[in-house]
Amino acid sequence: MARLRWRDRVLMALRAELLQATWNYERQQGLGWAWSLAPALRRLLPDREARCARLVEHTAYFNTQPTLASLALGAAARLEEERVAGGGADAESVLRVRSMLGASLAALGDRLFWLTLRPFAACLGVWVALNGGWRGAVVMLLCYNGVHQVMRFSGIGLGYRLGPAVLDDALRRRLDRLTRALCMGGAIIVGVLVAALLVPGGEPRPLVFQVTLTAGLGLGFVAAQRPRPSPTQWALGAGVLCLAATWWR
Amino acid sequence: MNAALAGTLLLGGIAALDATPVAQTLLSQPLVTATLLGAFWGDWRVALEVGAVLQLLAASTLPFGSRTPEDYATGGVVGAGLALLLAARFPFEMYREACALVGVLAGMLSATGGVALLKWQRRRNEGLARWCEAELRAGRESALGRAHLAAVWMAFAVGVGAVAVGLGAGVALASGVVEHESIRLAKAWALAQPLWIGLGLAQLLHAFVQRRLTRAALFGMALIGGWLALMVGRP
Repeated sequence: MARLRWRDRVLMALRAELLQATWNYERQQGLGWAWSLAPALRRLLPDREARCARLVEHTAYFNTQPTLASLALGAAARLEEERVAGGGADAESVLRVRSMLGASLAALGDRLFWLTLRPFAACLGVWVALNGGWRGAVVMLLCYNGVHQVMRFSGIGLGYRLGPAVLDDALRRRLDRLTRALCMGGAIIVGVLVAALLVPGGEPRPLVFQVTLTAGLGLGFVAAQRPRPSPTQWALGAGVLCLAATWWR
Repeated sequence: MNAALAGTLLLGGIAALDATPVAQTLLSQPLVTATLLGAFWGDWRVALEVGAVLQLLAASTLPFGSRTPEDYATGGVVGAGLALLLAARFPFEMYREACALVGVLAGMLSATGGVALLKWQRRRNEGLARWCEAELRAGRESALGRAHLAAVWMAFAVGVGAVAVGLGAGVALASGVVEHESIRLAKAWALAQPLWIGLGLAQLLHAFVQRRLTRAALFGMALIGGWLALMVGRP
């Protein structure tokens, strides 16, 4: 019976780095998913025609948060292995599990990575950059990739070991705890960052700076209540107003 | 200067790759690209001033589901690159602040304009996906690898092209304004910089707090504690 080797799983994790390379509106990550799963199918299905036919099925619509996609990839590889061995799920069921895992992981991953870890790493980076210059970028990269790349590489192995049960309550609880801790840490860093901007090195900034920073915070809270205009559009508008104010003063 | 300019264009391509197609390591984020550009151009101050503002705005721009977010990967490179390019031409204090303002505005405009380019790439990828599927049906497995290689090259080329156009247009349009109106631009920077930083920080705080009283209290305590520590700790 063909079984996946450690090398196949490493290759899958490396290819998962390109999961979004061919992202499109029709299949979203479908093609990237098939490309990432191909090393597993090459091991399990030596016949090229059968393998190509299976790959075509895997190019169907798929979308999830790209880091946590590794868990779904590992689980799908496990199911494919069981299917080829003659037990477990049939071909349709594997695709159904893939879709189900994708949707659940997107809900968890969007909250953890896009809404929390990325803003947290950005705040930390900007805070360090205020005094440490180039070190801010290094801290930001280490903070984000310490979770992102570790999860991407270890996720394949974890998904393969546990199969579809990978998304159990224990994992959800761990990810929720991490999200909550990052949110609290992020709130603290923003507080310290605002203080450091108002009185850098214990020297209060000019009143104009303090007032406009406070006005910016107020504007930001108003902007955050609505999806449109986007923060960038608000910022562009504010920039044009500042230009106009200094031009015609 | 030519080497720094070539490095800026190359970084535009690499940032465009990192943003979505390859790895998503945050190498494409404005703070990181601005830091690298600061090293290329030998001017950390202007680079980080522009990079920090764009970073705070970029951090609240989220790529949920199929939403196409503003393209801060090329926006960050265009913004910091243009500010550094102009600052290298006018090496006086007042000019540097004017360059930073122009850089941030150019970065935001480029990020907003980049949405159309990203959508165009994604539509091109639809054709690539259909071609790949047809090839796979015909038993040509290598089509998957070729499709990915093509998508990666396209993203890189679009990134380099967008940065080249952004820098070219920025220098052509802003060079004269910076030269003749540097005092007004520097005054506008003094107003706009804290306003933008506040706007970006509020967005991030909103994402962290999510209407939880405990987190709001943590923010308040950190703000007061940080302020006291800085003021009392003053020699």
